[in-house]
Amino acid sequence: MMSNLRSLAALTATVAVVVLASSCETRRNAVAPRMGGPLAHYGSFECTPLKITGGGRIDYPPGSADKNPPASHEYETFGAHVIASGQVDANGTCLADKGALEWVDHRPEMEIDGHPLNLHATAVTFAEKATDTDCSDGAAHWGGKLRVQNTGQDDLDFEVWDCDNGEPGAGHDGFAIRVDAIGYEVMCPDPDLPPAEPTCTLTGGNRQFHPTH
Amino acid sequence: MRIASMIILALMWVPASVRGQATASAESFGVSVSTVTVNQKTPSAVLPADGGTTQDQAGAVTVANLVTAQDVFAIVSGSSDDASDAVSNATLGSVSILGGLITADGVVAVATSTLGNSNADGSSLANLVVNGVELEDPAPNTRVDLAGVGYVVLNEQIPTDGGLTVNMIHVVLQQPTLTGLRTTGDIVVGSASSSVN
Repeated sequence: MMSNLRSLAALTATVAVVVLASSCETRRNAVAPRMGGPLAHYGSFECTPLKITGGGRIDYPPGSADKNPPASHEYETFGAHVIASGQVDANGTCLADKGALEWVDHRPEMEIDGHPLNLHATAVTFAEKATDTDCSDGAAHWGGKLRVQNTGQDDLDFEVWDCDNGEPGAGHDGFAIRVDAIGYEVMCPDPDLPPAEPTCTLTGGNRQFHPTH
Repeated sequence: MRIASMIILALMWVPASVRGQATASAESFGVSVSTVTVNQKTPSAVLPADGGTTQDQAGAVTVANLVTAQDVFAIVSGSSDDASDAVSNATLGSVSILGGLITADGVVAVATSTLGNSNADGSSLANLVVNGVELEDPAPNTRVDLAGVGYVVLNEQIPTDGGLTVNMIHVVLQQPTLTGLRTTGDIVVGSASSSVN
């Protein structure tokens, strides 16, 4: 019975892949919004189906693979995912299907009225696969709109750089975020800092690049 | 075109158990109290069956006269497919348990799972004081007796089926009986669980 079901699964998957193949072609000319300056990595992209999930912890600054002393409270925690099917809109933007970002910056200097800075994505609008990084399992640049939960500031553009550089995620994977409207960023532009600038190395958690086709 | 798409999607649907895909699960919470009179868990986040990212938070948590905590966040993210993953984290600011018997001002619990691998990397306790004694970076499953109360397990790490549960502060409440000690409740502060199987 199980063997028959597996055969059926293989057959239907093959049929579906053939039928959908034309809609999954990589679009190398598509672009996503640019909010910052040039980077040594994340300069070359493909608009192709992608999915990244996970979260964890970054100890920025410095954003290296080592945790800061806990009493310093110099760390950030987050969860985030994005799903895209490789579609391009009329403006050439590589669209995201959906996603989420929950971000908490625990640094004392970032507190607002005595509470940690808390960012919540209200829309994830673009996602593109990065093709020029050292991230072994996949990398993406994606973003959209977010709200600063502490202040209610809404509809702010954000972008993230996302890197799956093998397992475990801690010490290997990377993540970076920028919100220009409030002058906020957690980015590690040191090219010598693994895995690929401007991402900061995770000190806990994992970023997982999922196969989509 | 729409009908064709629906047919294709129907053809593609096969139960995960048949596809051989692993299932990811994750949960995190800030404070949980379970006693004869109190049963409360808040804030908490659970990974949806179809994956994604969810969170819950509370600016302040007070549970009876047992626990107070500030700035509590619970976040989970993951997905079940050919490369399943699950990550959960719980963070708290200042924490006071049992009227100050245990205090800390920064609790981070992180649990991470991929198929065949789980870890608690990223978990930490800041300025932890237990019964007047400061404890720095306690090793996993450090037990400290609490006279007249029970005991506390710090940085508790419990392997589970395909995953791991991390409880940064787990107080076990006990009462003496004629034959020994009887457990009367649990207080857990900063918990993250994840599994892929």
